[in-house]
Amino acid sequence: MTKTIKTRVQRYNPDLDDEPYFQDFDVEYEPGMTVLDALLYIQDKFDSSLAFRWECRGGQCGSCAVRVNGTARIACRTKVEPDEVLILEPLEKLPIIKDLVNDISQVTFRIRRIRPYVARDKLPEQYPEIMHSDSIEKLREIRKCIECSACLSNCPIVAETWDYPGPMIIRQLARLELDPRDVEDRIAMAMNESVYSCTTCKMCTDICPKSIDIPALAVELLRAKAVEAGYPLASGQQGFIDQIKATGRAVPEKKTPLLKEIETEEFLVDNPRGRVAFFTGCLIDYRMQNTGKALIDVLNRNGIDVIVPKEQWCCASPAFRTGDLHTAQDAARRVTEIFEKISEKYDLDTVVVACAGCGKTLREDHRPFIEEQRGEPPMFKVYDMAEYMLDVIGKENIVKPKGEIKMKITYHEPCHLGRGQGVIDQPIELLKMIPGVEYVEDPYKNRCCGAGGGVRAGQRELSQKIATTKKGYIEDTGADMITTECPFCTIQISDILKGTEIKTRYIPDLLAESYRLGDEKE
Amino acid sequence: MEYKTIMCDVLVVGAGGAGCRAAIEAAKHNLDVIMISKELLGKAHTAMAEGGYNVSLGNVDPDDNPETHFKDTIVGGNYLNNQHLAEILVRDAPQRIFDLEDMGAVFDRTPEGKIAQRPFGKQSWRRTAYASDRTGSEIMVTLTEAIRKTSVRVFDEVFATKLLVTDGKIAGICAVDLKYGDYLIFRAKSVVMATGGAGRIYKVTSNAQLDVGDGYGMAYEAGCEMIDMEMVQFHPTGMVKPESAKGRLVTEAVRGEGGILLNSEGERFMKRYYPDVMELAGRDQVARSIMTEVLEGRGSPDGGAYLSIAHLPKRIVEFRLESMIEQFEDAGVDIREEPMQVSPTAHHFMGGLKIDENASTNIPGLFASGECTGGVHGGNRLGGNALADTQVFGALSGETAAKYAKENRHLGIDRDAAIKEFERLEAMLQRKDGVSPADARDELTALMWSKVQIFRKEEDMAEAVKELRRIEKEVVPQIKVDVPVKRFNPGWHQAMEFVHMVTTARMVAEAALMRKGNRGAHYRVDADPDETGYYNIVIRKGKDGEMELTKEDLVITKITPP
Ligand SMILES: Cc1cc2nc3c(=O)[nH]c(=O)nc-3n(C[C@H](O)[C@H](O)[C@H](O)COP(=O)(O)OP(=O)(O)OC[C@H]3O[C@@H](n4cnc5c(N)ncnc54)[C@H](O)[C@@H]3O)c2cc1C
Ligand code: SF4
Ligand code: SF4
Ligand code: FES
Repeated sequence: MTKTIKTRVQRYNPDLDDEPYFQDFDVEYEPGMTVLDALLYIQDKFDSSLAFRWECRGGQCGSCAVRVNGTARIACRTKVEPDEVLILEPLEKLPIIKDLVNDISQVTFRIRRIRPYVARDKLPEQYPEIMHSDSIEKLREIRKCIECSACLSNCPIVAETWDYPGPMIIRQLARLELDPRDVEDRIAMAMNESVYSCTTCKMCTDICPKSIDIPALAVELLRAKAVEAGYPLASGQQGFIDQIKATGRAVPEKKTPLLKEIETEEFLVDNPRGRVAFFTGCLIDYRMQNTGKALIDVLNRNGIDVIVPKEQWCCASPAFRTGDLHTAQDAARRVTEIFEKISEKYDLDTVVVACAGCGKTLREDHRPFIEEQRGEPPMFKVYDMAEYMLDVIGKENIVKPKGEIKMKITYHEPCHLGRGQGVIDQPIELLKMIPGVEYVEDPYKNRCCGAGGGVRAGQRELSQKIATTKKGYIEDTGADMITTECPFCTIQISDILKGTEIKTRYIPDLLAESYRLGDEKE
Repeated sequence: MEYKTIMCDVLVVGAGGAGCRAAIEAAKHNLDVIMISKELLGKAHTAMAEGGYNVSLGNVDPDDNPETHFKDTIVGGNYLNNQHLAEILVRDAPQRIFDLEDMGAVFDRTPEGKIAQRPFGKQSWRRTAYASDRTGSEIMVTLTEAIRKTSVRVFDEVFATKLLVTDGKIAGICAVDLKYGDYLIFRAKSVVMATGGAGRIYKVTSNAQLDVGDGYGMAYEAGCEMIDMEMVQFHPTGMVKPESAKGRLVTEAVRGEGGILLNSEGERFMKRYYPDVMELAGRDQVARSIMTEVLEGRGSPDGGAYLSIAHLPKRIVEFRLESMIEQFEDAGVDIREEPMQVSPTAHHFMGGLKIDENASTNIPGLFASGECTGGVHGGNRLGGNALADTQVFGALSGETAAKYAKENRHLGIDRDAAIKEFERLEAMLQRKDGVSPADARDELTALMWSKVQIFRKEEDMAEAVKELRRIEKEVVPQIKVDVPVKRFNPGWHQAMEFVHMVTTARMVAEAALMRKGNRGAHYRVDADPDETGYYNIVIRKGKDGEMELTKEDLVITKITPP
């Protein structure tokens, strides 16, 4: 029997229709089918006037970007999920010409604004022109772009304002900055083009058919060059950096920090099944002491020895994100040294993190930097706490939390946890283990809250706008509580939800609470 | 009938490698240049080219020079090339690749920092310049950047349907704005055709959606002479599965890196056909060998042969065939572990608009460059020569069209002809009963695939010709669009393309039928062994409106055929 997939396609002909509407089609499924195949099937079998673009059918031309179940993708390289309803819409932000065809003239105007070509003041004295491989190595990677515009569609900043040109165009600026032949001041241009607006949410990387790591290879690169060229950071951002340099913590001390409060660095259990070091990060140490304690408790209850080095240092995520490479790299060396010592002293090889931002920084920034510096990466593995519990301890071995928490709970996936570390389902699995919890899925759970990349610190107004959009998504779920796994997201989201009934909680806290309630019951 | 008229000095039809290069060149002459294309700027078929650009720089093999490049091109083309054009190709290829670098292209480098060059089929030296396996994309991106620097007015998603000729000279074109459905006339002092090939007249092809042969159809109708239309290159290795990927190119580099071909019995069958060169025989030779295996019942389950690279170290495959891994991953095959299934796919049109050393056609004011022209590559094109062609002749046609525009004025327009054309397009929308373009297209492409293919024979081709004449008379006037909407309506776009597909297919079939012996890509199972085939077939629309085919002498400058 042939399987059919229900496909809902947004139709719109502004000549005739007052507004867009959805039309359903049954598409005969074939293994390996792409979204483009489904569209061509509909065009051939049901309606030849269904409008969408395509040319190469192989991810080479960049014509066929559409939104597939909410997220922009190129149709010809996106597989159809046989057991899901397929919802196809045009890209966001850009006006619609018809059905799935967007008017991309805004993009064209926007890209022209950066003088998007190699500007030369003289041609080479002789041919062939000599250029060495190493001078073009980085450039080649970001040059793979096929201008499909998909990444523009889901960029949280572009969604709020065209002041920011979006990932594709910022990438083009970095491409030109890296080109040894280009003579324009691309850094000044990047400043003019709001390069500090990007939250480094990595949505663009996730969407990009060429997997170009735009936040790292373009945004952070341009920022680092701007810092090098003497452009000052926003005062909010500089404040973090100064704090890190002075104290190893990005924020000033208020009440007693966790690391001072605890009497020992060793939290050992009988017959441990594992041993980890806990990298607290600045906010858990200075602002969310209870979360830190909750995490230690949760791990101990699950038979894990936890070592909490009392001397820790900021991962310097704010410095990596904003381009102060000096501070950033200094911190990377220091953190590596501290945790390698601890690993050796306590014979462990695993560091657990409960902050999405720190985890991403340790994995994606420290690791390659250290490896490049000394030829070998840090000697320890880094795990997010939920990832550690599910993937290392294992679901079947996790001690069941028994205290009931009767609530409708949804989840915000921190950008630097989901796309930054590939941790997507584990936190939700943990939530679902808590008795009484009714988990409600937010289809937009992975959308940026607007806190990251130095945006909350540097551009509060923009950050607020992104958060307000996020608030809408959260409210639409009808949940009583939103949980997450990052202190920055927690602060941002609880700020924006002030005045609503929705509570914001950190996952380890909730888990520890359930364990405690369970104890009381017994 | 309502239409708008847009004025310019030079009009370039097509925005692939050739069209963009022509527009850039023409714009240097203080002229108003318009470039139109069916797809968005930067998305043309040229972006799909993978392997590289042939140029005898001698960066890797210092003994290479334009002479050898010329010789390889003529021998590869089976001596049918217009040798004047081939001389221009090899002469200008170096400066044109430097132009690309001036515009910002980033080709891969040698250790000394020069442009790197790799070996490609049937060439004496390592000559093919490249940017990984995305050379076409690199060129397209560069040209797009460069176009954005010029004052060229880009009208993308505009479909040219007819050339307008006044007193035998070019005067402009009729077109449709695909976005909103408006009828447009572009009036220009000179026009450059750079409309690419027509792989899409075959059921299985490596070509982009746009390559249906509009340029061939329009030029023929306007009275332009066409040459070598029977010469269609089939690339031996196209994808077989999944259905939607059928025909997608599996780059020659796979065999270049050591890939081997096996039949269903696990036999490395190339040893029975070309034991000396095995898998690295010419494209046509490998294609025929694969097809013979399939026809004799030793094909793979989905009607192809196995191409395996699994015996090579994974590291090498991952480094050099990055995008092939990706392409087959999409199809659920890990080429590091398992063989690919491949079979031939329609790939390149050697024939097309007949041009002279000025890239000028026989219609004054009409110039042409790129894959839509014929003569440069003769009976067979070497891998890597097409990208060079787009740049060399693109620039040349841009320059000569600019000169012509400087020396000539706008001609008046045959408004009756234009209105008739728009009425024809409008009628497709209004027609209630008729044939849908999707069905008509399926019939045509299947016909070409089965009757005018790799192995050709008299009765097949005769039947194809008969069928195509019938289709032209009976189906073309009956094409109807299901939904009568002008705003971005792909059904209508396909209907507009269909007539051009039929004309193109007819030219291929009629010329193929005329050529009795084997030569170049034209291979007959019933070939006349006595025919050397040293002539070109030229096609034009006769006074009576019938298709006229004549044999013409080869254009020889340096190398006389053996
Ligand atoms: C998969 C693949 C790989 C290849 N790899 C190589 C390689 O490695 N090296 C090499 O040398 N060659 C290669 N080729 C061949 C080469 O890519 C083409 O020959 C070349 O790109 C053609 O360029 P072009 O500018 O002539 O036409 P195209 O790039 O095909 O552009 C044609 C243009 O004409 C426009 N057009 C057509 N009809 C109309 C109309 N009616 N109205 C308005 N506009 C119109 C189109 O919109 C388009 O902009 C490859 C081909 C394929 C299919
Ligand atoms: S990382 Fe996020 S905010 Fe930055 S450019 Fe990409 S999508 Fe936009
Ligand atoms: S960066 Fe990636 S997603 Fe964005 S336009 Fe380029 S190819 Fe598309
Ligand atoms: S059709 Fe070209 S990228 Fe999808």
